[in-house]
Amino acid sequence: MAAGTPLPSADGSPPPLSDPFETLGLAPVFELDPATLERRHRELSRALHPDRYAGRPSSERQQALGRAIEVNEAFRTLRDPVRRAEALLVRHGRAVAETGGVPADPSLLMQVMERREALGDARRAKDVAAVRGLSRAVREREQRVLAEMAKAFVQLPPDFTRIEPLLGELRYHHRFLEEALAIEDELDAKPA
Amino acid sequence: MLLDIFDPKAPPTPLGIDLGTTNSIVAYVSDGRPVALITCDGTPLLPSVVHFAAEGGVVVGAAAVGRATREPERTLASVKRFMGRGADDPQTQELGSYRFLPAKNEEERRIVRFDTGSRVVTPVEVAAEILKSLRQSALDQLRKVGGVVITVPAYFDDAQRQATRDAGRLAGLEVLRLLNEPTAAALAYGLEKKQNGTFAVFDLGGGTFDVTVLALEDGIFQVRSTGGDSALGGDDMDRALAETLLEKMGATDAASRTPEVVSLALAAARSAKHALTDAESTEVELPARGGADIRIRVERSELERLIAPLLERAGRACRRALRDAKLRAGELDGVILVGGATRVPRVRAYVAELFERAPLTDIDPDLVVAYGAALQADMLSRSSDEVLLLDVLPLSLGVETMGGGVDKILPRNTTIPAGAKATFTTYADNQTGFELHVVQGERELAADCRSLARFSLKRVPPLPAGMARLEVEFHVDENGLLAVTAHELTTGATQRVEVKPSYGLDDAEVERMLIEALDQGEEDFEKRRLVDARVESERVLLATEKGLRADADLLEPAERVEVDSAIERLRGALTGVSPAAIQAALDALDAVTHAWAGRRMNRAVQSAIEGRAVTDIERRVERAQGVEAHLAQHAAGKVS
Repeated sequence: MAAGTPLPSADGSPPPLSDPFETLGLAPVFELDPATLERRHRELSRALHPDRYAGRPSSERQQALGRAIEVNEAFRTLRDPVRRAEALLVRHGRAVAETGGVPADPSLLMQVMERREALGDARRAKDVAAVRGLSRAVREREQRVLAEMAKAFVQLPPDFTRIEPLLGELRYHHRFLEEALAIEDELDAKPA
Repeated sequence: MLLDIFDPKAPPTPLGIDLGTTNSIVAYVSDGRPVALITCDGTPLLPSVVHFAAEGGVVVGAAAVGRATREPERTLASVKRFMGRGADDPQTQELGSYRFLPAKNEEERRIVRFDTGSRVVTPVEVAAEILKSLRQSALDQLRKVGGVVITVPAYFDDAQRQATRDAGRLAGLEVLRLLNEPTAAALAYGLEKKQNGTFAVFDLGGGTFDVTVLALEDGIFQVRSTGGDSALGGDDMDRALAETLLEKMGATDAASRTPEVVSLALAAARSAKHALTDAESTEVELPARGGADIRIRVERSELERLIAPLLERAGRACRRALRDAKLRAGELDGVILVGGATRVPRVRAYVAELFERAPLTDIDPDLVVAYGAALQADMLSRSSDEVLLLDVLPLSLGVETMGGGVDKILPRNTTIPAGAKATFTTYADNQTGFELHVVQGERELAADCRSLARFSLKRVPPLPAGMARLEVEFHVDENGLLAVTAHELTTGATQRVEVKPSYGLDDAEVERMLIEALDQGEEDFEKRRLVDARVESERVLLATEKGLRADADLLEPAERVEVDSAIERLRGALTGVSPAAIQAALDALDAVTHAWAGRRMNRAVQSAIEGRAVTDIERRVERAQGVEAHLAQHAAGKVS
């Protein structure tokens, strides 16, 4: 027997079991008002949080726990534009393959590689200001992508030929911002 | 003269317990306000110190502190530091006067064992002694105690949380909930002040540091981010000061640092720290090498210099919590101080600089956490819906991947309860098993994170690499406790493995300790099972009757008959003395109400959403009226 550590499968994490828009009772649109989303999350938490079922029979508590988890997971999905877009693609029966799907635009790839290199340099130089500057530039770019995506999603049917490459780009930006944040944490923990 | 009249039918009083590194506190709610109970020491603060006497017997609190210098190895302090920790943990090795028992096997390596001379104990048992003492104080004053909420540092990982819950069970308490200390503190402040906004809670306790950013809106406390250092606290200040005192005493080598000498230096450091809260300088008296006593002068500035690196560590955690919450320090509406160590003037000044505002200190920082816990215990027991606490996962949960990396399944700061799934595949041809290693932490390498569980799934059908599919599901409940389910879904013949991470004591061991702790062993244990089953049944009956009054229309007539007869059967079982029979009747009632419970949840969801929709409409009407009024005025103006 060759028991070993599992590898993440090529198709990434599976889509959530239930549709997050339906779980939260919200219209399936890309441009979701964050305040509405938060309010709905609070309302459903009020109704389903396990603390509301403290004195109830154990299977009822389990049931509430399961539903509260579903609500929190839907909230986490819809709050994140990448995962929100993926949930919409799933609703339209599109694959959300992260790899082997949409080929990245070569000029975008070039840009991404340059920024990564700059981030690596900033990390080595322990230059927090440079890390923040790069994050700011990427966040601006991210906002433009989000606006374009919103437009493409509004069309009926949505323009998937535009959405899918944009989603790929958005993922790049997200990963970059996450890494930049982790580097900020790291530089803060080990001051020069 | 007032007679103390006790109503035997009075409901048991729910309790909130702050199980602290240095002190522990028990509180309850009286007329809507939290009150700290007087402990066996005659004050609300019970030192979290336990002495295992040579003649047998256990002493807790100030009396135990008194014996610490004479018999340090029999006296355990700061045991919270060791909760859920293994003997190899770096923190276990820090300056202290404990004697550890070497681990004999892998399981023992996951939990510290103290050799007290007469008895070998684990941190869970020591914490249980503190909880038992608090329970006894509560029983003496309130006669009947109900469920308890025990607080834990927000930054506690799964193992530390489980150890705390087990300590509660071992002390004979019904643990309703583990509550994060900063959330408890915010609850104590929020309910009294009724203010909405975004707050940070800076909690520097004896042994742990937590910072939490939370938003308070419409009775919901939503934690935005939490961070901290589970090995940073007031004790570290004492240790840093004790280190310089030991040098001045001439105790520079290991041989001269006997547990007695270290214990004396630590006690002197603690009293100097307290004195320096108000004074600029103080003096302590300690035995020098050779026997003569020496007086050592300690300046406040010296303490401040010693604690500067500790505060810097706290500062880093605060900055990260703000980044995680996507907030700048100036955007907060307030900062709440928790923990005795926040009395140190330099700490307060540091917090004020960091958050650009003077911290709130209206509620005693030593009692605020216990107050919040008591309020939560009271609300849970009354099924009150005035306030809801939405907490987060403090540290990311993940699975070790090929090459020792970590695949994060649930990131830190995810609102709990939380759940997520991930699929994994085989990396070798004809691989017939999966080894899964569940870890918690932020580091890139699994070896640097906290190991929570290892398990394997065998009998995977031999397939080419990458073909087999393993689905791993994580569930974190409202207490922050994890359960993992894995199933292999290649062949349709689904295999399922459920794991509960263990920190070195499993359920069976805790049960064995529980039986041992009781005077009559098995017999008492049976009695307790009966009491527990009765309490649970009464509560379920009450909840079911309440449900029938509100939502009987959601039951089909045939279901109603089943529910009524299940209630009757449970009532019948309650007249008997068999815990098993009561449990069976309880399970039966549970089963026939399951579908109904789901419908009631749907109704609760509907009314939660519609309730909001109605207020929205009202608001719109209000605004419309405003416009009408304006138009009317306008028209009137035109006419005149």
